[in-house]
Amino acid sequence: MQPSPVQLSVRNVRKSFSSKAGDVRVLDDLSFDINARDFVSIIGPSGCGKTTIFNIIAGLIEPDSGSMQYLGAEIESLRGRVGYMMQKDLLFPWRTVLGNVLLGLETRGVDRHEAEGKAREYLKGFGLAGFENAYPKTLSGGMRQRVALIRTLIMDPDILLLDEPFSALDYQTRLYLEGVLKDAVETYHKTVILVTHDIDEAVALSKRVVVLSGRPARVKIVHDIDIAAHSPIAARSDSRFSGYFHALCAELDIQTEKTA
Amino acid sequence: MTLTLPGTTPVPRRKSRAARRRAGFDTPLGRAALQALAVIGFFALWEIGVRMGWISAFLVGSPFGIFADGFKMIASGELLSDTWYTLFEAILGFVIGTILGSLVGLALWYSVFVARLVEPFIVAINSVPKIALAPIVVLWFGTGLVSKVMLSVSLTAIVALIAAYQAAKDADVDLQSLLISMGADKHQVFFKAVVPSTLPSIIATFRINIGFGLVGAVVGEFISSQRGLGHLIYTASSLYDLNTVWVGLFTLMIMGFVLYFVIDLIERSSLPWKQSNASHQVQV
Repeated sequence: MQPSPVQLSVRNVRKSFSSKAGDVRVLDDLSFDINARDFVSIIGPSGCGKTTIFNIIAGLIEPDSGSMQYLGAEIESLRGRVGYMMQKDLLFPWRTVLGNVLLGLETRGVDRHEAEGKAREYLKGFGLAGFENAYPKTLSGGMRQRVALIRTLIMDPDILLLDEPFSALDYQTRLYLEGVLKDAVETYHKTVILVTHDIDEAVALSKRVVVLSGRPARVKIVHDIDIAAHSPIAARSDSRFSGYFHALCAELDIQTEKTA
Repeated sequence: MTLTLPGTTPVPRRKSRAARRRAGFDTPLGRAALQALAVIGFFALWEIGVRMGWISAFLVGSPFGIFADGFKMIASGELLSDTWYTLFEAILGFVIGTILGSLVGLALWYSVFVARLVEPFIVAINSVPKIALAPIVVLWFGTGLVSKVMLSVSLTAIVALIAAYQAAKDADVDLQSLLISMGADKHQVFFKAVVPSTLPSIIATFRINIGFGLVGAVVGEFISSQRGLGHLIYTASSLYDLNTVWVGLFTLMIMGFVLYFVIDLIERSSLPWKQSNASHQVQV
């Protein structure tokens, strides 16, 4: 595999939040690189600040210090250029499926007619044709999350930030959507950062897994996952899968012993 | 059409045989029959009481007298013209007050600083019984239509304002964050996330406010007016013409009833995305 250029580089980011008990340092001198067309999973103990990293990249909060470079250029944040997907599907209940998919394009001021055509195409591609005018309330959890994925992809974001997007779904739906995600990422050539607490999911989907230490978060180790399977399900039956899985488990276990 | 208020659906429970037989009345038709029976019984008792001299017709009127009076007033067109007048004032006050209040309440979302600054003043204004303003309002806006509308506005605007402001504050932060991550500016967040999420709360105030709109109109007419149902009731009661007072009151009741159902209809049709949910709730 030829080495890809670095797309996003996070350098020495620090962030603390003030609470009643005093300042809580969430990120302490955190640095990592994301390569172009990378699929990086970030795993770590819960509450270690994974969501904070995303919020900083997406420009929702500002870091106390540190910097980010995008394709070598210094940037404040990637606001407006990221596709942020969270555990909650965050579909707007008063918008139809089509309306939800159009949200990002509307925000950008894309011509309505053009945007609608594109949205219908995407919906068809993801097996949601016929549901354009349905309200989110009437859809299943898996369908809702698929709509959220389309809403994210249709904006053609530079980087996808996926914050435990499938953790609220049942196992079968999750497996299915992992496949949908992996296909979509390959079709649209996207760079993905996935936060998950599911080691199994991280190994099955990613090219690299970043393990964070407990609060304050630091990069503990980065594992390259060298499984050349087409689908997340096939990846799970790869001979190296369980090796990676156990290695990552061990990394996390050591931490829990330390912090406990 | 069946209206099932939340919480009134009976909990399914094993019933005794006698209870099951009694439940035969628990159908739309059965309930309507019982309700009609209660109304007829009430008026019959009232009429009998007056005829037998148990109660004074002078102080409470009598159903037949009310009916005769009402018929006369309908025939002369007097009742209809008074009804329209009051209805017009109430609806105008309701619409202006609700729109004005909602707009101000929503606008407060834009600046946390301004919102915090004016919050105690809103509470202060809200704690004044608005009816107490009636004499000044008549002084300022005259004895015509405007003073009644203004009184209705003063009652309804504050309710809408508080509801809209609270709903805007409670609007889902995650939806707003999502929009911001997509590159939305403050206006887009406001119009795409905040305003739509406040609509259910604002529409929920319609029910309260349509009543307040009527209160404003009627009280305004009490103070000073040449027309309207409030004027009718006020002048009739000062003449001890109790039957006419009742005609006015029953007309107001019917008006309120109709308005309530109109609001109900508006509420159902304006939030189609809330619909599917409602049918589940009845089953619970």
